[in-house]
Amino acid sequence: MRTLVFIPAWNEEAAVADVIEGIRGRMPDVDVLVVDDGSTDATATRARAAGALVASLPFNQGLGAALQTGYLYALRGGYEYCAHLDADGQHPPAEVVRLLEEVYADRADLVIGSRYSDPGRAESDDYRPTLSRRIGIGVFRFFLTLATRQRFTDTTSGMRAANRGVMELFSKHYSPDFAEIESLQLAVRQGLRVEEIPVRMLDRLGGTSFLTPLRSAFFIFKGLIVLLVGMFRPRVPASVGAHGVSADDAIEAGPPKEEGMEQ
Amino acid sequence: MSNLLLGAQEPTVQLTSQTRIIAAVLAVVFMLMILELIRQDRLQERYSIVWFVAGLSMLVGAAFPGLLSVIADALGVRDTNVALFSMVLLFLLALALNFSVIMSRQAAQITRLAQERAIEAARKQAAQESNGKRGSSTVAGDTAQRDES
Repeated sequence: MRTLVFIPAWNEEAAVADVIEGIRGRMPDVDVLVVDDGSTDATATRARAAGALVASLPFNQGLGAALQTGYLYALRGGYEYCAHLDADGQHPPAEVVRLLEEVYADRADLVIGSRYSDPGRAESDDYRPTLSRRIGIGVFRFFLTLATRQRFTDTTSGMRAANRGVMELFSKHYSPDFAEIESLQLAVRQGLRVEEIPVRMLDRLGGTSFLTPLRSAFFIFKGLIVLLVGMFRPRVPASVGAHGVSADDAIEAGPPKEEGMEQ
Repeated sequence: MSNLLLGAQEPTVQLTSQTRIIAAVLAVVFMLMILELIRQDRLQERYSIVWFVAGLSMLVGAAFPGLLSVIADALGVRDTNVALFSMVLLFLLALALNFSVIMSRQAAQITRLAQERAIEAARKQAAQESNGKRGSSTVAGDTAQRDES
């Protein structure tokens, strides 16, 4: 089973090497790709030194574009499964293994790692968000449930595992602005099986969260618009690119990856 | 004073000849500017059409003020100038929206281009590692992306 684990990273030089080593330790057989989203620090160099493949975007494109790069690489490379986790060290590789096992067993097409073990609570023993964050989480949870008619607790989790169906969808359609939420909505609308399993998350190793109260408010507002628009998107946009760009041609042209690259 | 209150009986406000002359001159200057921009390759033809239409409309409006009065009547506006302003405003609004659409498309194209380039480099690195230093992936790749000549 060829599996790609990718890590979107933007100026995460402090943590990225540890994350890669963590993955290598837990999953020696997977390929590790760091999607360097236009970092201005040594993220790419450290990732390469730690033994990961590096796909460097020439300028910062946002998390959505970085994640899509990972999905596109996995699809082109002929990987059967892929997973991604944050570069800041919040996501323990051991938990990624658990997510992957769900897709290996074909119990779901897309598996989300949720930091909330109890669906009813906005916090867990390991993780206590700030008030503005709790409000945002509550709002998103409510509207995403409304939009998908499926219960999600951790709508913005960046720890996921997926199979090829998801790769195909996300490499064509992935909002550059609102990666996590819209992609969930999109996957559910496309009839993919999306599952959430509780995972343990850690404090970040380095860097700082990009969320300030003002940004949070903007984030929530943007998210609501995205969800609203998403409800009226065409359901099976197989031939039409979401933003006028279709990946179809390029995907077909991409040669399958050579054998012997797993180790 | 009673004139102001009984607005309905007020005569329609027309464009003055002075306004018309200024508008005509501006329209001509404007279109010459567009031509010059195209000549210098600073404006693509496909984006110039809409501006030519705007310049021509301006010229037509200046030459035949009767047209404007008809439109103003149809809109229920007594002042031709107000009708003119409203139309120009709507036109600019539509144009701004059009630009946002074009911008979004180009942003998506730029993103895809950046992704293609990044993926290409990573594939190259992967190929080099599997060819050159099989099994010792930790050493390889330090310069893999830089020396793609």
